Amino acid sequence: MSDRPSPSTSSRSQAVPPARRRSRDASSIGLNLTSMIDVVFLLLVYFMVATDFKKAEEVYILDLPDRVEGMSADPFELDEEPLRIMVRSTGVDGSSFRLAVDGPWDPVRDFDGLYDFLRARQVDGMGGGLFAVDHPIVIVPDASLHWEFAIDAFNAAVRAGYRNVTLQEISS
Amino acid sequence: MASIFKRGPARPQANITSMIDVVFLLIVFFVLVSQIVDLESVDMELPEPDHPAAALPEEEPRAVLNVLPGEDGDCDGYRLAGIDYPPTPEGLGSLRSALVGIYQQTPGIRVNLRADRATDYRWVSPVLQLVRQAAGLSGTGQDAARMNLVVQRGGES
Repeated sequence: MSDRPSPSTSSRSQAVPPARRRSRDASSIGLNLTSMIDVVFLLLVYFMVATDFKKAEEVYILDLPDRVEGMSADPFELDEEPLRIMVRSTGVDGSSFRLAVDGPWDPVRDFDGLYDFLRARQVDGMGGGLFAVDHPIVIVPDASLHWEFAIDAFNAAVRAGYRNVTLQEISS
Repeated sequence: MASIFKRGPARPQANITSMIDVVFLLIVFFVLVSQIVDLESVDMELPEPDHPAAALPEEEPRAVLNVLPGEDGDCDGYRLAGIDYPPTPEGLGSLRSALVGIYQQTPGIRVNLRADRATDYRWVSPVLQLVRQAAGLSGTGQDAARMNLVVQRGGES
């Protein structure tokens, strides 16, 4: 071990040329960014934790005509009798619902059944069906019905392809 | 000669310029997003229908009207443009005046209606009535109140 030549000071200094030594000294000048990076990462973590990402929102278009009862743009135009779909609140705290379609129809049990009903009776261009896609459909929710169920009924009608779907207001 | 060895062996350093760029971009993103979300939306559980037929809202002028959820399907009030209106006849009158002002300022504006899924319909119905009346009262030749019923995407499709 003692015979092995240890890296001596003189031999190393001879290996490094003077020009390289100068360039190393010049590159050591710089800003100490450690504290800034600490703060920046703290800010980043704060905003990542504090930001509450919402789920994407979508919309149903609802146009409410401001027309006086009994008046229409064309005096010879016959008003189409709208198809009324009643949604009643049931259950202890309104956690359930009951559907009824106004007219001589079989009762529908849920919103998928309502969709099937509306879809099956839509004019299909082959001479079948009763209701055109622009036939007025009025959803009549109960006063104590949860908004969720009113939207479900609205969704069933829109999903079935109807374009003239409205919500009946509660008369005050 | 001795000064060379004070520094020790070579010190590898990472170039952190690009990392700082990216981190600052992320900070700016999160700052902006958190402000946008807070401005318009009230924390509530929107309806989430199965097989939704809703569509993404179009880019057009809009006002957001929130029905503030209360206990057991009740309503704590209505919020339009950051102002709260109580669910009383007086509050609804003020809300109608505010809506008329909005329609006069921006004819053809869409009103986005946001209500909690558990809110009773009796609190939502007056809003439909008010918006329809305000569109007629604004005197801008508006023949229909244009509304959007806001739901949450993510139901079974």
